[in-house]
Amino acid sequence: MPLVLNVNGAKHEVDVDPATPLLWVIRDSLGLTGTKFSCGIAQCGACTLHVDGQPVRSCSFPVSLAVGKTIKTIEGVSSDGNHPLQRAWKELDAPQCGYCQSGMIMSALALLERKPNPTDADIDAAVTNACRCSSYHRVRKAIHLAADLMKAEA
Amino acid sequence: MSGPSVNRRDVLAGAGAFVLGFYLPPRVSQAQTAPAHGAAWYTEPAVPEINAWIVVEPDDTVVIRIAQTELGQGVWTSNAMMVAEELQCDWSKVKPIYASANRDAREKAPAWTLEVPGDGATDPNGGGEPTFGNRDRRGGFGIPDSLYRRMRTNAASSVKDGRYYLQLAGAEARERLMLAAANEWRVPVDEITAKDSVLTHAKSGRSTTYGKVAALAARTPHPNPQAIALKPPEMWTLMGTEQKNLDIPMKVTGETKYAIDVRLPGMKWAAVKTCPVYGGDVKSFDAAAIRGKPGVRSVHQFPIPDPKLTRGRVFSGGIGVIADTWYQAKTALEALPVEWTVPPERAAFTTANMRAALTAALDAPGRVRVNTGDVDAVFARADRVVEATYSTPYLPRARMEPGNATVLVTDDRVDIWIGDQSPQETRFSAAQITGIPEENVYLHMCHLGGGYGRNGNGPQAEQALMLANANRGTPIHLLWTREEDFIGTTYRAMGMARLKAALDADGWPLALDVRTSMQQDGFGPDASFDVASRYYVPNYRFSNHTTNFHVPVGTRRGVGQAAHEFYRESFIDELAHAAGKDPYRYRRELISRTELPFKADMIKALDMAAEMSGWGTPLPRGTVRSIALEERGVETGNSATISAMVHTVSVSRDGRVKLERVDVAHESGFGLVNPLSVKKQIEGQITWFYNDAMHQACNIDNGAIAENNFNRFSISRIDEDPLQINIQFFPTAHWLVGMGHDRGTSVQAAIANAVFQVTGKRFRDLPLRQHDLTWS
Repeated sequence: MPLVLNVNGAKHEVDVDPATPLLWVIRDSLGLTGTKFSCGIAQCGACTLHVDGQPVRSCSFPVSLAVGKTIKTIEGVSSDGNHPLQRAWKELDAPQCGYCQSGMIMSALALLERKPNPTDADIDAAVTNACRCSSYHRVRKAIHLAADLMKAEA
Repeated sequence: MSGPSVNRRDVLAGAGAFVLGFYLPPRVSQAQTAPAHGAAWYTEPAVPEINAWIVVEPDDTVVIRIAQTELGQGVWTSNAMMVAEELQCDWSKVKPIYASANRDAREKAPAWTLEVPGDGATDPNGGGEPTFGNRDRRGGFGIPDSLYRRMRTNAASSVKDGRYYLQLAGAEARERLMLAAANEWRVPVDEITAKDSVLTHAKSGRSTTYGKVAALAARTPHPNPQAIALKPPEMWTLMGTEQKNLDIPMKVTGETKYAIDVRLPGMKWAAVKTCPVYGGDVKSFDAAAIRGKPGVRSVHQFPIPDPKLTRGRVFSGGIGVIADTWYQAKTALEALPVEWTVPPERAAFTTANMRAALTAALDAPGRVRVNTGDVDAVFARADRVVEATYSTPYLPRARMEPGNATVLVTDDRVDIWIGDQSPQETRFSAAQITGIPEENVYLHMCHLGGGYGRNGNGPQAEQALMLANANRGTPIHLLWTREEDFIGTTYRAMGMARLKAALDADGWPLALDVRTSMQQDGFGPDASFDVASRYYVPNYRFSNHTTNFHVPVGTRRGVGQAAHEFYRESFIDELAHAAGKDPYRYRRELISRTELPFKADMIKALDMAAEMSGWGTPLPRGTVRSIALEERGVETGNSATISAMVHTVSVSRDGRVKLERVDVAHESGFGLVNPLSVKKQIEGQITWFYNDAMHQACNIDNGAIAENNFNRFSISRIDEDPLQINIQFFPTAHWLVGMGHDRGTSVQAAIANAVFQVTGKRFRDLPLRQHDLTWS
């Protein structure tokens, strides 16, 4: 029986094994390839997206658990690529290879939704995504800048 | 013009181990495959190109073709900057796209662009000293004379090697645009100026844009291209300025298409499993066990990829399962019983017996590379000898995007969608495996989700080519699991070094004996120690000692440099301690006593880093500063890259290490192309080598890599990143080697030295997390 998923504000019917990790349904059934595969065991966070506003490592999250919930992926962060986080990321030229950055931004977004003025310690605790190029230095600055931009616009 | 001749029958016979599974997928019709051809990211221009690197569209968009691969180092932007500097176009209208590796197989570069202008690394007006100066067709060991020259992305050499021909391409196009305008206006060309994509004839008050005369320029040959001169650094207006990277906007929205994101009509997915012991192969497998699993189309055995296609390295044979989705293929493969044939001598390797072999190699006679003075005589009468043995483990690149490639083979053409650091070599592999000539191989290049070393690419393309060749007409997207990526990558060789010094009564070295050991085919055995000691010593001997192991080794953010700088800078600190001298001033004095060509630059780096860091000012208990030198090429007097860093490190009583602050004094040579990308490279490599110092190691267990996913192979997170990184540049009078590797290597010795300062315990085996770092 098809499952109904609510992704970035739109409903989708997918006919997949309910045990399939949400990542593969998002990438292959729905064609949203911004969410990345890297470790497959919920370690690195490249596959981070939101389920009911919570950051989830979708490579290890069965699609069946997402039914009836609200899913947000990197493609749903803004319609024009200009969410304050995205603007801050561009201003600081944060990514290098960029492969982990969708997950990094989704973790940062969940943090800012919970804590609009995060401390460095808050960032350390919430943004646990792995970046092999080490964009960390600029990512930290970009999270602080995004917080400032969001406050200025509030 | 033509590729190496390939006999189709021989190739197929060579792949004779290829056993097909139980059935083949349906052949995709020609109509379905048609959109894949020539689609994707390389598109032929709608208007004529000015030269092979540059198209100016009627709306003034400047398309610049990039022959290296963007993998986070900023080449998409810096290569475009080198062209645009000379072209004098409006930078905001520049659009990079990948150069065609297929055209590169069919066309030659203009003869006037083949010679490097000027007088080498110390001539500011010339093209510098390319790493790969000699030309050869595949670009394995040189810069080819094919259209896009060297398409490799390696050796931190994209700027160093490409600058002269990219600047020439921009300059030639600019002069032809000016000529076209002059012809149209019937005025002398030297009365035309070109700036920001506008051509102006001041005398008559006329102006036009590049886009308006581009078609005419495309038909206007340059009368004397040999006379085109490079702009020297003092004339640069774009190069040398911080430019945001052009690939970033798409990387914050998820729009960037990495190779893993490629989707084609009729495409099927392949999951593979290869023998975890390198050189092993499939003994048997039971395809019937997964017959009827959802989505599964076929099962294939493939042989060990021909080592001549993988730069001599021996990987493993394996099994590929092809299914409608990758998750289906992977799940079925996990349920497939496979037995391996493993060469027993390879399965017998463990970290412990390999370490023992490297230690034994250090004791055996080695290949003496430098022998100045009489080292043995000094040791025989020395009062004071300091000796230390260091080790570094096998280390993978562990890029975030697992190895993958999509290949479509039809009867007369191969298309490959891949992120690849060496498309010219992959093109050759495609021809060898399929029997289809290189002129009919099309590579659709994608940004790479991490690179860190061309030789680490492994056999992803070769495996995909073998599977697609057995499924002609169907695009096959092969994707490695993370565990498979740890098998398919190459490793920086495990290594050891024994350094022994005789000191005089004041603690200055009289003799230094350096022995390094790594496996026979390890990369860069001479790095950091060759030609002369960086720190002055009147009697110096350096020898390499090798043994044979089976792990495929390659480059990884450099060659031997990173490990060797850990050995060297650790030992210098040990000598300073033995001498009772300040490690900064000890280094400074020993550099100043040498005859090394760039010693003044090294002293400048040390002085500047020390000053930036507040060297000598008080710090809280448990927090210390540690200084180290980083250099590449100072023994040559040609290209070099020199920096010094002071690392401020705290060690808590319960043994937690924190890199608090880094002060970086870095030379800029005659000029940096994009200082913003340089800063990012430095920031990134500090953490890269912090990981090497603190966390990362791959052990060998029964011949196989033990740590094969991120639960056992650690990658530091943002909480370990230093809050303060201060970077300052100082000018020097030579061109740089490159920025992509060997920066931040100092963090390894600095942390080990800091641990010693705080705890009194000296650890010489990396990574440090395996040791007890507590103190009271």
